Amino acid sequence: MGRRAAEKIADISMLSPAVLLVVVFCVIPLGLAIYLSFTDWNGFDEANMVGWANYKRIGSDRDVHRAAIFTGLIAIFGTLGLNVFGLGTAMLLNRNTRVNRFMRFLAFSPFVLGAVVLGFLWNAILGPRGAINTLLKTWGYGSIPFLSQSTPAKISVICVIIWASYGFHAVLYLAGLQTIDQSLIEAAVVDGANRWQIFRRVKLPVLAPTITVNLTLAMIGMLKVYEWVLTITKGGPGGRTQTIAYEILSVAFDNSWLGYGCAQGVVLMVILVVLSVAIQIARRKSEEDVAA
Amino acid sequence: MKRSGVLGKLGHLAGVVALSLIMLVPLYLLVINSFKSDAEIRLSAFALPGDFTFDYIVGAATDPKFNMLKAYAVTLFLVVVVNILSILVTGPAAYAIARGRGMAYRAIMLLLLGALFIPGQVTLIPLIYVLRTLGLMHTLPGLFLTSTGATIPTTVFLFSAYIKSIPRDLDESAKLDGAGRYRTFWQIIFPIMKPAVATAMVLNVVGIWVDFLGPRIILGPGSNVRTVTTGVYAYITKYDTDFSKVYPTMLLAVAPVLIFYVLLQKRIIGGLAAGAIKG
Repeated sequence: MGRRAAEKIADISMLSPAVLLVVVFCVIPLGLAIYLSFTDWNGFDEANMVGWANYKRIGSDRDVHRAAIFTGLIAIFGTLGLNVFGLGTAMLLNRNTRVNRFMRFLAFSPFVLGAVVLGFLWNAILGPRGAINTLLKTWGYGSIPFLSQSTPAKISVICVIIWASYGFHAVLYLAGLQTIDQSLIEAAVVDGANRWQIFRRVKLPVLAPTITVNLTLAMIGMLKVYEWVLTITKGGPGGRTQTIAYEILSVAFDNSWLGYGCAQGVVLMVILVVLSVAIQIARRKSEEDVAA
Repeated sequence: MKRSGVLGKLGHLAGVVALSLIMLVPLYLLVINSFKSDAEIRLSAFALPGDFTFDYIVGAATDPKFNMLKAYAVTLFLVVVVNILSILVTGPAAYAIARGRGMAYRAIMLLLLGALFIPGQVTLIPLIYVLRTLGLMHTLPGLFLTSTGATIPTTVFLFSAYIKSIPRDLDESAKLDGAGRYRTFWQIIFPIMKPAVATAMVLNVVGIWVDFLGPRIILGPGSNVRTVTTGVYAYITKYDTDFSKVYPTMLLAVAPVLIFYVLLQKRIIGGLAAGAIKG
């Protein structure tokens, strides 16, 4: 046996454990999701084929529609908010000073502390008997229904999610800002450009690829929101803040409608892929302008 | 120029103050309310504690209804096992990919990285099906293997990028000395890639610490083996009416990872940006 063949075999044995784990725990489940979405699997018994029944049920399930609308709202306002505040924070903290480094540390901290505990913390702050409402009461004001009425609860959830994740996007934007050639900015200053013109004409075009990455990551993250809703509002009031992920993992799962949950997952996955591709296509022009 | 300089400084100051308030006030509430009674929290959540006592924190740490120390131990154990498995599995794979020439290696890299874009929310229910079939549902090995699988995409990316920056001459001379592929990797290459290993480990520690769905679903909601995150969830959903239990429990849940973050902030923030941008 030649040396090359021996190396090939070594390579295969080096690669196979990693490939096996990813295939068994990521790729096969994705394929199974499609299969199970056409069954009535409840988690225990045999799965029976039911054709398109689960998908038809999505079409007539008003709770799922409501969840889809709220998920869409989170995706739109969350993606916008995360990118506006992420880029804003990155511009604010771009210079590498001591204060700015500490601020980056603070902005990023929710990512490390985790959605479950921070969600409970915001529940304890915004809830009907939470920190803010008790303060308002001692000052003699009425309470604000942050979590107890539909629209305020939706706004609260979206705001907390933006609070928790803008730091992550700020870090990505900071990395993008570091790549800007300083001489470009100096040349613009010499030409008499003001701050806004430098931002609009010099920085923003160079950041185009970073913006694409941030839009895509934010959008994917927003479509998957689950733990925040679970801990801030438990989906309430009256199910008004349930998301698609909540429908899948709490409603379908708790009722043993696992086949139905899979069908919702497949629809979510399709939406995710379509939107990701759409962002890439929409952003292609901006990115080409940079290359040119 | 001068005027815009002053304005810029004022704007920066205003931004920094606003940002600090919005990030620090929730953390301030988390800390101070861990030292107060339920009545005191409901009376004035923002005020400093009247008399300073560790009773509530000790109470939360020793509550018989939720063994926080055991949850620490379970989470730590999970973190250690998954990190070791992840490095054992991903190291050689990343080496083979970084040194391999040809389409097959690129295809495998794409397969491993592609897994990053599959949302866990979609694959979780079918994952139960897979684990049932393998007899791993409701078992710790099931959780170890799924968690390890989840770390592979980012880790393989970080490792192979780093190995590519190591000159091939090192491999060649090891080969001339008669070392095989595995020995070359573990004895020559692996010791050089400490920075990449450290970054991957730090990211995996945070990822595993905050993971809720994995342990919750795989071990089962009724399981008495609980990580800090799933344990705190089960506890607070039950006792959320008593703030003198809620606040200290949350503080204990974030304290270890907060200390970890303070010590390793540069690596966490930097590693994450590198992983996300190029991936």
